Amino acid sequence: MREMRKYREIMHVYIKSQLAWRADVVFNMLFTVAKILFAWLLWGMVFRERNTVADFTFHGMLSYYIVSSFLSQLEMSGGISGEISARIRNGTFSNYMVMPVSIEGYFAAMEVGVVLFYLCFDLLAAMVWIFVFRIQFLFARSAVVLGCALLMTVLGLFFMVQLNYFLGILTLKYEEISTFLMIKDNLVSLVTGTIVPLALFPEGVVGVMRLLPFYYVTYLPSMLFTGRCAEEAVRGLVVLGLWCVLMQWAIVVTWRKYRVKYDGVGV
Amino acid sequence: MKYYRVWKALLKIRFQNLMMFRLGFWGPFFVDGSLFLVQLAVFDAIYANVDRIGSWGRGEMILYIGTFSLINAVNMVVYFFGVNGITSKIKSGEMDLYLTKPVSPLFRLTFERMNPGSLPLLVFSICIIGYGVRAAGISVSAGRVLGYLFFLGIMILLYYEMEVLIRSVAFYLVSNARMEQLEEAGLELCMNLPGIAFYGIYKFVFYCILPYGIMATLPVQSLIGEMSWGTAAFGIAVVCAFSGLTALVWRNGMRHYNSASS
Repeated sequence: MREMRKYREIMHVYIKSQLAWRADVVFNMLFTVAKILFAWLLWGMVFRERNTVADFTFHGMLSYYIVSSFLSQLEMSGGISGEISARIRNGTFSNYMVMPVSIEGYFAAMEVGVVLFYLCFDLLAAMVWIFVFRIQFLFARSAVVLGCALLMTVLGLFFMVQLNYFLGILTLKYEEISTFLMIKDNLVSLVTGTIVPLALFPEGVVGVMRLLPFYYVTYLPSMLFTGRCAEEAVRGLVVLGLWCVLMQWAIVVTWRKYRVKYDGVGV
Repeated sequence: MKYYRVWKALLKIRFQNLMMFRLGFWGPFFVDGSLFLVQLAVFDAIYANVDRIGSWGRGEMILYIGTFSLINAVNMVVYFFGVNGITSKIKSGEMDLYLTKPVSPLFRLTFERMNPGSLPLLVFSICIIGYGVRAAGISVSAGRVLGYLFFLGIMILLYYEMEVLIRSVAFYLVSNARMEQLEEAGLELCMNLPGIAFYGIYKFVFYCILPYGIMATLPVQSLIGEMSWGTAAFGIAVVCAFSGLTALVWRNGMRHYNSASS
């Protein structure tokens, strides 16, 4: 219980620190329009000549983009790997090592604080765009599916924290990982389905993606929230849960093996 | 001639500097290469489900991606890393050093951080364009190729001007982070969406205010024979207008520059 209080405190600190950057909040909200505008213009042109594409109607497609844009906006753990990498390289990672909390737990609590802060603003932005673009928003009606989608979203966010933490501590071995992180960002935007729904890809490709965790981070929760792919919900939770366990194992092994390489003076 | 010698010296220094970090040397190529591969995969997935987007088929879209990739490749090889530092140099007062040199500060800033590591991006982009031409089944004539190269050239200039213009805002404001965020959002949108998709207010914004919408669209339209004389004149007029604006903002900015207190 006392342990939890420490993490709650970290979370509170990060919620408060977001208030110092109010303009960032407003602009983050405004720039969520870019993805919706992309979908509106691209699919608007496509749906002028047909009624459905890969079983999506125009408003179904835009509902998907509203939810996936909202979820991808909430996923803010990308900075964790950059922060860890920079700290290891300049020798100030010691600041985290001397804290009386687990370093991974610290970053997870930080992510919870930031996500909680942005949650209502991103929700507000999503509602504004639904209104502005006059989208007939489709939403799942089954409480079970919604529950699964919510749980999958939380697990997905946690997995991304784990992944970024893992990539960050790889700096202990590889020293320079910034190029790799940028490539990762490009690929993640494709495989999480934030550019286009993965349902547009050939069945074989989707089959392979189902084995990867990214399918369950943004794409499947977005589909579940918009009332599709309900039959994949439970399997999705199991697969993502297994990936979280696997990633935790990778983190523990990597940390134990390479922690001793850190000498606190920078590389 | 003097500027050519300075350019050669800058390239030599930069090469020596880059070779110290050999893995990072190819970094921009891998990052941007992966970005455009992702785009190709995205449009391949879309065209697996639809025949045409507006008047463009799969081939035209590949050509569009290749052209945007080529404009970006020139940007990465020649000026991006130099121009990108303008904001921090204004804020830190480091611009003083550039004012004391016997060459134009903008010339030196533009060419001091060239990146030969991005050269494979040029080859990669030309391959995509070749593939696009083949997939679109375009009959390529000398006139069309010249038109394409002409519009490609002036759009590379426009891209450069937009980068300088946005970073020159730092001469007047404490922070231009929002402007750079706007640039990023506009570029991301227009890399994924050809100009033919814009209409009404969106067309005005992405053709006239943030003209990223015309950058790869006009060269492609000239190559596939879809460009009218009016569109060609409009494209040239936009580039001229932004050239004038960039020169004006940069010159006034330099006068406005107050060393470290800017």
